[in-house]
Amino acid sequence: MCGLDFPTDSNVLVGLSRADDAGVYKISDDLALIQTVDFFTPVVDDPYWFGQIAAANALSDVYAMGGEPKTAMNLVSFPLKRMDLSVLREVIQGGIDKVREAGVVLLGGHSVEDDELKYGLSVTGFIHPNRILTKQGLNVGDRLVLTKPLGTGIVNTAIKGNLASGEITRKVTAIMAALNRTAATVIREYPVHACTDITGFGLIGHLAEMMQGTGLGLKIVLEKLPIIDVALGFAAMGMVPGGTHKNRSFRAHMVDMDEGVDPAMQDIIYDPQTSGGLCIAVAPTSAEGLVEHLQSEGVEHAAIIGEVVDYPAGIIQVV
Amino acid sequence: MAVGDKISMNLLIEDCELNKIDARGLSCPAPVLETKALVESRRPRQVEVLVDNEPARQNVDRFLESQGYRTHVDQAGELYTVIGIGGGAVPEPTPGATASAIAEKRIMVMVAADRMGTGDDLLGAKLMINFIKTLKEMGNELWRLVFVNSGVKLTIDGAGTLEDLKVLEEAGLILLVCGTCLDHFGLLEKKRVGQTTNMLDIVTAMQLADKVINI
Repeated sequence: MCGLDFPTDSNVLVGLSRADDAGVYKISDDLALIQTVDFFTPVVDDPYWFGQIAAANALSDVYAMGGEPKTAMNLVSFPLKRMDLSVLREVIQGGIDKVREAGVVLLGGHSVEDDELKYGLSVTGFIHPNRILTKQGLNVGDRLVLTKPLGTGIVNTAIKGNLASGEITRKVTAIMAALNRTAATVIREYPVHACTDITGFGLIGHLAEMMQGTGLGLKIVLEKLPIIDVALGFAAMGMVPGGTHKNRSFRAHMVDMDEGVDPAMQDIIYDPQTSGGLCIAVAPTSAEGLVEHLQSEGVEHAAIIGEVVDYPAGIIQVV
Repeated sequence: MAVGDKISMNLLIEDCELNKIDARGLSCPAPVLETKALVESRRPRQVEVLVDNEPARQNVDRFLESQGYRTHVDQAGELYTVIGIGGGAVPEPTPGATASAIAEKRIMVMVAADRMGTGDDLLGAKLMINFIKTLKEMGNELWRLVFVNSGVKLTIDGAGTLEDLKVLEEAGLILLVCGTCLDHFGLLEKKRVGQTTNMLDIVTAMQLADKVINI
């Protein structure tokens, strides 16, 4: 949004000047407000699960900032003329159940009539001003920890193509609907230097945002990546969403990867994620302990996927 | 066979037109999903997909290869024609989907009437229901079940054979239902099981089968 002059004041701790997962506004010396909004068109056929996923996705931005979501408002676009209101009811029920699971209250919302269904939430959370986690702050040697498996974009494409079984659909739905709450709670006890959530720009896109302006580089180890196991097979069949290709053409110049890497694996690292996991930069001596702690709390796919290096700067090496 | 020849020629002409997809202006995954729909509904021996961007070319190419086609690409500037040849015989088992095990032998059963045998039609209809119900005993060797002429009536809404046919299809058996025949009886909209097919696919299946049983 170049050239637009956004109003600001001295209490804006994280704002548009350095786009992050959410905005943060200082209320007092020990309290800041985190605000975020996100909504999208259905990613799964089942309206109830779409509601859950949309809510988990909106809440995730607060978790990615290290905060605790407190209140939420519904955002709804609904095609009244061609869809039964019972569908909307189910979507919102999904959202309510997810919000309740997060310990968040729903204060209201707004609906408009539209050509297609869209749903999401605006979410407000709290955080101590000194404990904000942003994408900035990488240190050399930090280990990168990812908390959800990659490949939701590819598997969702395969679902659209009727290639995925009901079991696979349920599995990927559960992954997308899982809150990043446990991960966000656990990381408070560790020396975490930076954090973001992996969504539409894919793993590489969000890593690139963490790396930008740091003068450092990243090294990612493919065999350590948590991946939804069937995603590689689907990618090999060409079930790859357009976003994967867009993400690749936007970021490929920053990535150093052997050309011989399996093309399906190359797609995984650029695959746009819906309600993906947190990517956490943590001090090296604490990384193993963090992953074990995450797994013991039920974040079963958590894994160390790479590290921050001082050379070559501005490059994501993929080995 | 004069009548039969004529039908198959008409279907061949229709075939060539229908096995081309113009996916220009579409972004991923639409081109690959359209290709998949065509390959699954018709199992053509040759497919041509016209796309106007590299990612779509790559996805369509990968998909056709995964389905057993040999592919090559004609490029003219920003336009790519992805051509797949030689597929359409046996679909690859798709990951995650239930696929029947690879059998030693391929038996094709061709059902050309809605009842079994001649003499008493009522008895013939009962026998046919029982026949379809018992077909599963062939196990994995049962490879294709083809319905032509009044046999297509076994695949429509309300047919006494429908439930058993659905069970066979869910277990991975490919059911082919003659489109010309459905059309002849005005039943195109009423078919509830199997893939609508044409004479070329039926002839190809006969050629690939180890045994063809006519009912």
